Amino acid sequence: MASNSISRWLSWPRTSPCLHVQQAPSPSRLLPSSQSFIQTASFSTTPSLQKRKNKNQATTDPRIKLIRYALYHPALPRPLRFSRNRSLRHWTIHRAWNLFRAKERAAQQQDLENLYNSMRDACEALRHLDEAGMSEAIGQGGKDQGRLFRIAMMKRGVWSGEKNSGSGVPIEYARAQTEYPSREGWNYAWRR
Amino acid sequence: MALREGGSMLGTALRPRLRPLSQCVCHRARRPASTAASDELEQNSSLVTAASAAGVVSQFDPLASSRARGGRQLPRSRYQYRPPKYYRGPLHPHQPPPPSDPASREFVPGPFSSSRLEQTYHSTIAPDILALAYTHYPPGFRPPTKAERLREWTGESPYFKNRPRKGPRGSSELPPLRKPITFRNVPKVTGVVVHSQSSEANEDSAYLHVAGMVIQAITNTRVETFKAKKAVNQWGQKKGKYVSVTATLKGEDMYDFLGRCIDLVLPRIKEWKGVRGSSGDSTGNISFGLDPVAVSYFPEIEVNYDMYPPKMIPGCHVTVQTSAVTDRDARLLLSSIGVPFYGKLVD
Repeated sequence: MASNSISRWLSWPRTSPCLHVQQAPSPSRLLPSSQSFIQTASFSTTPSLQKRKNKNQATTDPRIKLIRYALYHPALPRPLRFSRNRSLRHWTIHRAWNLFRAKERAAQQQDLENLYNSMRDACEALRHLDEAGMSEAIGQGGKDQGRLFRIAMMKRGVWSGEKNSGSGVPIEYARAQTEYPSREGWNYAWRR
Repeated sequence: MALREGGSMLGTALRPRLRPLSQCVCHRARRPASTAASDELEQNSSLVTAASAAGVVSQFDPLASSRARGGRQLPRSRYQYRPPKYYRGPLHPHQPPPPSDPASREFVPGPFSSSRLEQTYHSTIAPDILALAYTHYPPGFRPPTKAERLREWTGESPYFKNRPRKGPRGSSELPPLRKPITFRNVPKVTGVVVHSQSSEANEDSAYLHVAGMVIQAITNTRVETFKAKKAVNQWGQKKGKYVSVTATLKGEDMYDFLGRCIDLVLPRIKEWKGVRGSSGDSTGNISFGLDPVAVSYFPEIEVNYDMYPPKMIPGCHVTVQTSAVTDRDARLLLSSIGVPFYGKLVD
C-alpha cells in the first residue's frame, strides 16, 4: 500500500531536478556567480548596525538547496475525479487492455509450449534412430542407436562455453531488437 | 462508483425490515433452560433469503420518496461519494476504490511505453533459453530418489519422537530445489533493486539527498531511505543514522533501467571486465556495482550533470532478481540479455 502510494507520487514529475526548474526558484538566481549583481552597499550614508556575517561559515551549495526543495516539497497531487461517462469510458478501456494483455500472455505461453512439445518429439525420434537412420525399438538398433540424442543431451558449452560470458551465449547475441536495421548494417571496425 | 452508491441505498431500504428479525432471535434466547433441545434449534437457515426482500425491492422507489420530501434536497454530502483516504482493513465498511480506478490514491497511469528489452525477451530470448536448456526425459522416466533434505532424529532417546526435523548438513538454510526448465518456468527478470550507501551522510545529509535524487533520476522510482543497523568505526558510521537509499523497480521501469544500463552505461565504463562470475546469492539474484563515474554516464545524469555537485554523485549497487533459483540459470539469462561475466563462475 505504502509503496503504491509512493509510486503514485512518481507520476508527478519530481524525479529529476531538471523538471523543476520552472516551478522552483531558478538556479541561476541562486548561483554565487550572479550574486555580484545584487546591491549590497546601503543607500544611506549613516553606518548601519547590522550583525556581522561570519565569513568562515560554509554556505550550502544552491544545487543542494534545489535538490532538497524538490525532494521535500509536500504537495501531493489530489486523486483524479472523473465524471460518470469518463469513468465508464476509463473502465471500459481498462478492461479491454487487461483482456488484450491476457491474450498476449496466453499466446506467448502457447508458443513456448508448442516449442517444448516439438523438441520433445524430436528428441524422442532421435533416441530411436539407429546407425542406418531407421527408427527401431529401444535395444534393437545396435550400439549406435540414439547417438545424436546422447550428444545433444551432453549440453556441451551451454553453461560456460563462451569466454567472458556467464554461459554459452556469446555477447554478440544480446542486441535489443529494433523495428528497422541500422543504416550501416554492421560496424566492421568493431573488435572484441 | 455509481453501483456502490446504489447498493448502499438499497441497504438503507432493507434495514427496517431486518430489524424485527434480530429482536425475534433475542426473545427466543430468553426462554427457560428446561425447554426441549429441539425447540432451541433454529428452524430456518440463515442462508435462506428473507421472503419479503422481493416486496421491498418492488416498493423501493427513490424518485417517489424524493418527491414526497417536497423538493427539499438532502445535505450535499449525501449525493457525493468520497472514497476514504486510507485502507482500514478488509472488515471496514468504508473501502477505498481499486487501484485501477483513477479516483484511487494508488492509481498509476500507464504503461506508456513498451520496452525494447521486454519485447526482445518475449520474442527471442525466452524461446532460445528454453531450447538451449532443454533436457529430455524419456516416457516412463522416474528421477532417482535422493536423500531427504530435512533429516530425521534417529536414536534411542524418547525426546526424538515428533521433534522437528534437522536442516541440511553444513548450513542453516534449505536451498530451493532446481526444477528442469520447461515452458512454464523459463527464467525471467522479476525485479531490480538499486541501492546506494554513503557514510559521509553522517556528517552532511546533503550526500544522502543528492544520492536519493540521483537514484530517483536514473530509476524513475521513489527511493526509500534506511538507517544504519550497526555502528562501523572505520567508516565513521553511527547506529540509527540515515545512510542509504534504495529503489525497487518492477515492470516497465525495471526493463527500462536494465536496457539503459546495458546499452548506454556498461559499454562506456573504462576497462570494465564485466560482472564477477562469483557474484550472486546462489538463489538466482545477481548483483554488481557501479562507481560514481559510471553512474554519471546515465543519460538522465549526463544531460544536466551541472545540477548535481560532482563530488556527491554516488556509486550504487544493482541487484537483478530473477525467477531462476540457481545462479547458473540467472547467469544464462543475464548474459543473453547482455551482461558480460568474467573470472571463475561460481554456482
